[in-house]
Amino acid sequence: MATPAPEVHTTVPPLAPERAVTWPKRAKTRLSNGLEVVLAESHAIPKFHGELFFRSGNAAAAHRSTGLAEITATVARTGTSKRTSRQLEEDLRRIGADLSTSAGSDNSAIAFAGLSEFAEPLLALVNELAREATFPEPEFERERRQKLEEVKLDRTQPGFLASERLRKVLFGAHPYGVVAPTQEQVAAYKRDDLLSVYRDFYTPENAVLLLVGDFQPQAMLDTIEKIFSPWTGKKPEIPPSPEPPRPRGRRVQLVHFPGAVQTQILAGCHAITRKNPDWIKLGLTNSIYGGAFNSRLVMNIREAKGYTYSPRSGVTPLRQHGYFSISAAVRNEVVAASLTEIFYELDKLRALPVPEPELADARNYLSGVFSLGLATQDGLLSQLATVALNNLPDDYLETYREKVRALTPDDLLATARKYLDSANMQIVVVGDRTQVQPQAALFGEVEVFDAHGKRLH
Amino acid sequence: MKPFNISIEYTTLSNGLKVVIAPDASAPVVTVGVYYKIGFRLEPRGRSGFAHLFEHMMFQGSANAPKMQHIKLINSSGGVLNGSTHYDVTNYFEAVPSNALERILWLEADRMRALKVDDENLRNQRDVVKEEVRVNVLNQPYGGFPWLDLPPIAFRNWANAHNFYGDFADLDAANLADVQSFFKTYYTPNNAVLLIVGDVKSNEGIALAQKYFESIPAGAAPPFADPREPQQTEERRGEVEEKFGTLPAMAIGYTIPARRTPEWCAMSLLEQALHGGRAGRIYRELVLEKQIAVEADGGIDDLFGYNGPTQMVTRILHKPEYSREQTLAAFDAVLENVQRSGLSADELQQLKVKFRSDYFSTLESGHGAMPRFGLMHLLACFSLFDNEPQLVNTILEGFLAVKPEEIQTVANKYLRPANRAIVFRQPVAQAKEAA
Repeated sequence: MATPAPEVHTTVPPLAPERAVTWPKRAKTRLSNGLEVVLAESHAIPKFHGELFFRSGNAAAAHRSTGLAEITATVARTGTSKRTSRQLEEDLRRIGADLSTSAGSDNSAIAFAGLSEFAEPLLALVNELAREATFPEPEFERERRQKLEEVKLDRTQPGFLASERLRKVLFGAHPYGVVAPTQEQVAAYKRDDLLSVYRDFYTPENAVLLLVGDFQPQAMLDTIEKIFSPWTGKKPEIPPSPEPPRPRGRRVQLVHFPGAVQTQILAGCHAITRKNPDWIKLGLTNSIYGGAFNSRLVMNIREAKGYTYSPRSGVTPLRQHGYFSISAAVRNEVVAASLTEIFYELDKLRALPVPEPELADARNYLSGVFSLGLATQDGLLSQLATVALNNLPDDYLETYREKVRALTPDDLLATARKYLDSANMQIVVVGDRTQVQPQAALFGEVEVFDAHGKRLH
Repeated sequence: MKPFNISIEYTTLSNGLKVVIAPDASAPVVTVGVYYKIGFRLEPRGRSGFAHLFEHMMFQGSANAPKMQHIKLINSSGGVLNGSTHYDVTNYFEAVPSNALERILWLEADRMRALKVDDENLRNQRDVVKEEVRVNVLNQPYGGFPWLDLPPIAFRNWANAHNFYGDFADLDAANLADVQSFFKTYYTPNNAVLLIVGDVKSNEGIALAQKYFESIPAGAAPPFADPREPQQTEERRGEVEEKFGTLPAMAIGYTIPARRTPEWCAMSLLEQALHGGRAGRIYRELVLEKQIAVEADGGIDDLFGYNGPTQMVTRILHKPEYSREQTLAAFDAVLENVQRSGLSADELQQLKVKFRSDYFSTLESGHGAMPRFGLMHLLACFSLFDNEPQLVNTILEGFLAVKPEEIQTVANKYLRPANRAIVFRQPVAQAKEAA
């Protein structure tokens, strides 16, 4: 065999000219009953993905009880006027479909995916779950008992305990201040509570149906019209929520987790919702801080110092309020050292403009990653959901990349100063207090809690 | 049923590197992977966890792309990246806008040619890996259950039975000489496959592969430990303490038929009948009907991605008021039913439709929403294990041809106590209240 001439390329090849990113055209309509429908074609596989969203979730039911939208979604799939739980599950399998029902703070949803050849029976089943769920008493009772075990298990997970505590301190009595029901609340759920949430939230005026996949849009619209147009129902009345507190000064909340061999750090502050005009600026600022592998925080506390495996930061855009947070699970000995670096990087972004080459890299990152969502049905669906659920302009997908590319070092400095609120950051640490309390105390007054939220002294 | 055919170009460079191109210009993005035929099973004795630690080292710098450059170049090209260690392969992959393809190939070629790391990089990544083990295993309820718990109980051959994440003492013992020798032995072009999936033309992909990879010298054929297991003749049981969780748990693993046999296809459909979400028999009986369990799920992990002894594993978290023997009896009753009565033609038909549907989804994405990650993974495994990436277009046929009597046969032949291992994960008795 001839040996090829050893040719080693020692310099980085330049990027080739970019191919245009073309988002598929969306077909949008509103049925006479108020149901909003958005469709987009994507023919990579002979399937389609869809989601029927209701614009009300646990927050909208918080005055009745905690987590009520979620248990309603769970039980909604366990029986309809036409099918038992077992029939529903077998019928889904018969057409090769996956389906899940869930609720978060702001929305309830029926998510589904299936073969294109069986689109009509799948949509008919989704329609049935949205309109004719019967909440059979034994199914409700079983799911309630399941939920009891789940909420007990949650309290053994450091990540859950950290986010629960941060939400509490940032949002107080606002519904966003509670992420999961207590055992007592679950024990007190009644089937009637679920039925009333279902009646109020699951209506066409409150819903948006998104579909992405291998179908012909006009034929799909006709099918949707046929299946969903007889449905009726009004938007629910939701009582206003109290204003969240605006905690001032750095404070530390320590959740004592006996025997922990690692400490979960989570720090956060109030930020903005998706609709805020500063959203893209904050997104880019976050990707430089800790939102990408190549970010400052990851390079510092992982790649240079080896304190942690998985540091990251992000902005959580809830509908009424948003918050910025930083998380890292670190070894017990370096809790103070990690927090020092976390604040060093925050303060640096607030004090010094980002050098232009670093900013150019970050702009490329954010706009490039955005276009990856174009290539899969699921990725495209989640982009459509962002637009629809936040009432963003129709050209959001088309203009996002240009907006990212227009940002300057001054934009980022102003954004960091405005939203990376270093001085008022609320710090949560979940770990063994005997190992971490003295380290945490260097960063603010420490309050200690057990896994059930009880104050410890 | 619509016809489904993925166009594939497959070639081998003069240094033995396999190259697979699957062009698809529907979006201007491309997913690139390099898979090496080395995984947990083959790491050296006394160096448990080394294959995974080594995977981290591959991001620490190569001859022309020093530490931090690799990650920086991919992110700043608009892409995402990762790597992962499996039983029989280790992979490195990235998804990028297609204008960055040449840059990505250069990076992958640079680290295949010459890893350039030092003691400080090794110390740093050893620390990172320990935090990875803590966050995923040691500081989590049911951490490592059952993927780390079961192999030492189920298997007798060290290759299959050791701690794949690594004992900390073994991680501490690893040195730079180990890193270089592992690299030299297993990270050769003739032990690897390059995948380019997405927005690329076949001839251009092949030409770029030649440009950047063909001058990397081939290595000696690497030694492979024999992963075969002695014939199992008795049920195996073991215990692992659960430090945080509140519910007793168990996992039951049955060693399954050899891959790419008719029995393997039948077993895969049977597995779906048993697990397969809320319609699956185990979930239905244990969670929905008898309400003994809070969670019951399982399957054959990465069905197309292993090349040695493996198990179908069921994972159960049950209510404390039921004993482990009661729970196990309820599980056994589900299996006995299939062994006695098989599946109905209707149930088997449902399973086949679902299997086909799941297969398409596997191909389309994976690893977050990385485009065509699953297609890349299957192409890689079929190239390295079978020298036949075209199997992605035909492998489905074997599953769709399974007959009801074959299901009943494998149920009786493989789902026997003497072919299984069980691990019990028992919550520690001590009160966990604060002192």
